Amino acid sequence: MKVTVLLSAGLHPVSGRPCPAAVELQAIRLAHTLGTPELTGLHAGPAADAVRDALGQGLPRLLWLETAVEDDPLAGLVAALATDRPDLILAGRQAQGADDSGLLPYALAKALGLPIIADAVAIEPAGEGAVHVVQALPRGARRRVTVRLPAVVTVHPAAPTALPFAFAAARRGTVERRAGQAALRSGAAIDERPYRKRPKLIAKAAAGASAADRLKAATESAAGGGRLLVDPAPDEAAREIIAHLRELGVLRR
Amino acid sequence: MSAPAVSLVAMLYVLAVIAAVMMGRRVSLWRAGRPMQVDWLKGIQALPKRYLVDVHHVVGRDPFTARMHALTAGGLLAGSGLLLLAPLAGGFRLYWALIALLFAAMLAGGAMVRKRRTPKPARLSGGRFNMLPLLLIGYAAGCFLVALDAASGGWLWLLAWPGLWLAAAGGMGLVLQLDRGPMRHAFAGALHLVAHPRPGRFEGRRETALAPLDLEAPRLGVETPADFTWNRLLGFDACIQCGRCEVACPAFAAGQPLNPKKLIQDLAATIVPGGTNAAYAGSPYPHARAVAGVGGPQQAIIGREAMIHPDTLWSCTTCRACVEECPMMIEHVDAIISLRRHETLECGAVPEKAAPALAELRYADDAQGRPLVARTDFAAGVPLPLISARGEADILLWLGEGAYDMRHGRSLRALLKLLHLAKVDFAVLGPEEKDCGDLARRLGDEATFQRLAGDNIATLARYRFRRILTADPHALHTLRNEYPAFGGHYDVVHHAALLDELVAAGHLAPGALALADVTYHDPCYLGRYNGEVEAPRRLLDRLGLNRVEMERHGKRSMCCGGGGGAPLSDIEGETRIPDIRMGQAAATGAGIVAVACPQCTAMLEGVTGERPEVRDISELVLMAVEAAASPADNRAARQPEPVA
Ligand code: SF4
Ligand code: SF4
Repeated sequence: MKVTVLLSAGLHPVSGRPCPAAVELQAIRLAHTLGTPELTGLHAGPAADAVRDALGQGLPRLLWLETAVEDDPLAGLVAALATDRPDLILAGRQAQGADDSGLLPYALAKALGLPIIADAVAIEPAGEGAVHVVQALPRGARRRVTVRLPAVVTVHPAAPTALPFAFAAARRGTVERRAGQAALRSGAAIDERPYRKRPKLIAKAAAGASAADRLKAATESAAGGGRLLVDPAPDEAAREIIAHLRELGVLRR
Repeated sequence: MSAPAVSLVAMLYVLAVIAAVMMGRRVSLWRAGRPMQVDWLKGIQALPKRYLVDVHHVVGRDPFTARMHALTAGGLLAGSGLLLLAPLAGGFRLYWALIALLFAAMLAGGAMVRKRRTPKPARLSGGRFNMLPLLLIGYAAGCFLVALDAASGGWLWLLAWPGLWLAAAGGMGLVLQLDRGPMRHAFAGALHLVAHPRPGRFEGRRETALAPLDLEAPRLGVETPADFTWNRLLGFDACIQCGRCEVACPAFAAGQPLNPKKLIQDLAATIVPGGTNAAYAGSPYPHARAVAGVGGPQQAIIGREAMIHPDTLWSCTTCRACVEECPMMIEHVDAIISLRRHETLECGAVPEKAAPALAELRYADDAQGRPLVARTDFAAGVPLPLISARGEADILLWLGEGAYDMRHGRSLRALLKLLHLAKVDFAVLGPEEKDCGDLARRLGDEATFQRLAGDNIATLARYRFRRILTADPHALHTLRNEYPAFGGHYDVVHHAALLDELVAAGHLAPGALALADVTYHDPCYLGRYNGEVEAPRRLLDRLGLNRVEMERHGKRSMCCGGGGGAPLSDIEGETRIPDIRMGQAAATGAGIVAVACPQCTAMLEGVTGERPEVRDISELVLMAVEAAASPADNRAARQPEPVA
């Protein structure tokens, strides 16, 4: 099986120094659970120092598409993946310290016409040309889906921790450097606003309930309450969603 | 010469040939190791001193064993030597009387060997060692009888013939033990003294720094016995299984799967092609993890399928207690770190909790990824001059990672106040100070260590200062002893030593403290690694405190469990090392344990229940100085308050 892991140029959240994004290193480890795949890392950007260390954490080789700072990496990645045609493309759910919109995997899947499964915590082979993916859902819930390959899968931070760094492995790993594609970012579409903290939705249980209930409400309110329905009929699910949104005051009628 | 005497001498020549063959077999095994330049001439010249002074300095800590060994080894070597020379001087009866006397001494020694082993203490080995007293006594008694007969001019021939048989049986048994049995220590030990990997030990030099690793080498660290240099393999063979290291090892005491004696035996077993650990008959690793227990010169040493389980490797706190106790001068810690280097650098097989710490060190220069600017937060209002603002200072204060810790922050604040009181000209690096690399190095991550060392040395090169002061013995050891290999040569002083100086020079005037008895816990990296055991005690005595000693103190002190990355490796045992150490402190009846290291503070403060209070030396000095300033407070409670 051919697996490509997308690697972004991460920055350490405290020191601000280049470093691989943790969730992408976790993606490499997940790739290893698929037996012995033909594993490649793929990075598009002006420098590879940040991602190079991934070679010490389970990645045997890295393909680096060298682009200018102002280039959008998407075009180059799409072109490279379209020629290389890996069975599975793994990405972190979000980059770290740079352009962390988390949108790239979706844009990539769209451009390549591939299905995308988000937030994987485990991947297992499911016979020829398919894998089972266990997805992380809010509040610790898990969902297992089967997806036909090729596909894009993003990895969730709750996946098993990355393999420890081995200096000698990093030294052995190879970096293949290719010229990337010049593609200016479409700056116009981005609307920048100052950050505003969203108010928390306080669950109703808070007022006058027991201390334990209040604590639960305070710690869980961000998730907005709700009920877990397993395999509901579509009608029932729709009704349940509408009722929930009404309760939250999102739907007023 | 009498007929039995002639036969004995002839037999001895035969035994000597067999002995040479046995030793040759072992020597050929060491040749599997990597080459290492050894100054043979110097080593051989130094051998008598190394043996009679350095070895006996260690052996002499147990006077019974020292006498036992002197009699047995002295009698055996001198007696057998004279026997071999008998063709030249055997005509004199006095000569034979001398030989009889030497073997009588050996006989007494053999009896002591036997006495020491009945009943056998747990630290001694059984197996092939059980035969040892019998063989020694047999050989000594036999030679004694033959020599006595020769000295008497043949009057005792009735005793001489059985004596000859006894000597033959005992001598043969001893010679056959030269390869794998206890007698191996005799020739391997002597050669080890000659070709010791750290000859500076015998010249009074501090030989505690780890050797730098060439990061360009094709294979990093030690995977197989052949990756050790040959004289390290020789060192493993020198072990006499006396178990002194086992008794001293804190990990062994805490029931973690490490026993330095067994570790060395396992390593010695891997030297042999197809070697197994089956012949070992001493204490096992406590709660030993299952391993295949097989090895060979070209086979991996660490792993479930090999000789030594990784948990054994990661249990070590690098406290050097084993090295300090070993009469054969074996360097356990060097071996452990070489093996760890391979695990970490080649395999990435570090303990689970160590991996994130090493990653943070790699990308943020602090093991917990804390901002470097936050290192000085502890000062909380006490002025802390930055050296970058001035370019120079008399003393550069190295804060270390303890500065991030709230508890150790108190100790450092006390130190700052004292420095200000004594009008010391000092400054700190502030955000320019990176982790010194101690943790990375002990965990085998030499690459990260060398990077941090290089960065710190480059930073230090930009400033002018006379000395570096630190309250962290781990940083002290790294900066003082390990940075020189990378071009950083500094005069590093521990805060206890500096405070002692300041008090002696009258820059600080402590009053007498009316506190409970105090016992001082030596940090391994200050006491054993740097030999500094007196200054802290002198300082405590200057405070008018009643000082009591734990049984294990000074260079033979016991570790708190905090070194070598052991708290991160967190290998499961029966008890915790700090609990054991705190028990020893409590047993002295002291109300205060004085410490001088942030790791010790953290480990000992972590002990729950009724126990003496933990105080850094700087806190006690500040108390005394403040007490002198306002004598009214001197009547405060004898027992300090617990630290919240
Ligand atoms: S390693 Fe040294 S201290 Fe330990 S048993 Fe062997 S000889 Fe004795
Ligand atoms: S250094 Fe300390 S912990 Fe490690 S083996 Fe020796 S005595 Fe045990």
